[in-house]
Amino acid sequence: MRRVTPDTIAVVDLAVCDRCGLCLPLCPPEAIHLELNVLTVDRAACTGCEKCVGPCPVGALAMVAYA
Amino acid sequence: MPDVDVLVVGAGPAGAVAACDAKQAAPGLDVVLLERDRAVGSPVRCAEGVGDAGLREFANPDGADWAARKITKVIFLAPDDTEVLVAERGVGWILDRTRFDAHLAAEAAAAGAHVLVGAEATGMSRNRRGGGDDRWHVRVKERGQDTVYRARVVIGADGVETMVGRWAGLDTRVPARDMESCAQYVLQGIECDPDAIYLQFSEAIAPGGYAWIFPKAVGVANVGLGLVALKTDGRNARQYLDAWVDRRFPTAARTGYTVGGVIVHTTIKKTYADGVMIVGDAAHMINPLSGGGITNAMKAGRLAGTTAAAAICAGDTSERRLAAYHHAWMELLGEDHLKYYRIKQALESVDDEFFNKLARTVNKIPAEKRSIGRIFAHALIRHPQLIPVAARFFV
Repeated sequence: MRRVTPDTIAVVDLAVCDRCGLCLPLCPPEAIHLELNVLTVDRAACTGCEKCVGPCPVGALAMVAYA
Repeated sequence: MPDVDVLVVGAGPAGAVAACDAKQAAPGLDVVLLERDRAVGSPVRCAEGVGDAGLREFANPDGADWAARKITKVIFLAPDDTEVLVAERGVGWILDRTRFDAHLAAEAAAAGAHVLVGAEATGMSRNRRGGGDDRWHVRVKERGQDTVYRARVVIGADGVETMVGRWAGLDTRVPARDMESCAQYVLQGIECDPDAIYLQFSEAIAPGGYAWIFPKAVGVANVGLGLVALKTDGRNARQYLDAWVDRRFPTAARTGYTVGGVIVHTTIKKTYADGVMIVGDAAHMINPLSGGGITNAMKAGRLAGTTAAAAICAGDTSERRLAAYHHAWMELLGEDHLKYYRIKQALESVDDEFFNKLARTVNKIPAEKRSIGRIFAHALIRHPQLIPVAARFFV
């Protein structure tokens, strides 16, 4: 199945992220990973749905243009 | 490649009790308990409140160094700060989770489980072709080195992230409306009753959740809130908390802060797979009304640990066998959580003015006669749309 490239995808500001893991189960395509104390968003899997952005308790996630 | 019988991922209350009880149920088994962080119990991502009765099933808090404060009162704060004291008996405790989690891990170690800190599970796979080795191969990163553990049963006690469930093919995702975003400070030099927990419900302070003051000592408390992002005005949890603390405790010293997610959902549809069980927060076993999860996690850990031991001893770790764990949990608390979840949904329709009026009405009842049940009865008189929910709950 061909995946439609979203206009924007989620990125994490690691200087702000507290590694609490709250965003992981919110991500429908399970594109967020927390490993060795670093949060990463798999840009190939992110669908740009923004469900992770609002709930972040410290505002560490934001949407940026897919490039 | 180390071979183990039970590999528990995550040394919080669920994982530690699971490891301890698996080993006690079958002392001949090799049980390993993994903790990603360098110390069990740290960092604390918790308000640390726990009910007395549930706690005592697992540990005696009297005089224990991990029990920070005994709580004998609950004070509800209406949105307009009207206080409502609810009389209860032996209400609960505020824990020192750093010490409490270490205590539970030490109990597991004393039972013979092997506790590994700084050991992070990073993935797992299994030969599904049938025949030969059907054990899980779990990759573990420890001091920069990868080790693959071969395990008959993996117990996922890895909290809100719930990666083990994901790796086992279970659906552990959460709808945004059922995720509480929480922020908390440790405040010093505050004035509040050190024997009481305070809970404030208000759309303006903590939309979709509540704010709390949980004392850890005289003048010291965990002060935090949880909210549902979909209901906010765009600020995040920490910004809501800053506003509340600035207003209520403007002179307090903020000596610590933490953030995290609390899943106020119901238990995941399937908490087990071949050779896998998911326990505690990872399986969404949190009381969706209170947000409390510590004793639930320990109860689930006990069920999973004993189920794992019995399954391995019987030579059958298939999902058909491990389903017994899921059914036991649902009977113990899982079905209750479905009811609590419906009450939570009904309460979403009431506004701040309702809580203000309710507080003033309830305060006319003598303090010694106030109970959660009576408050609920008054709420029903004022708010008839809650009656069908209450009927379903109490019948």
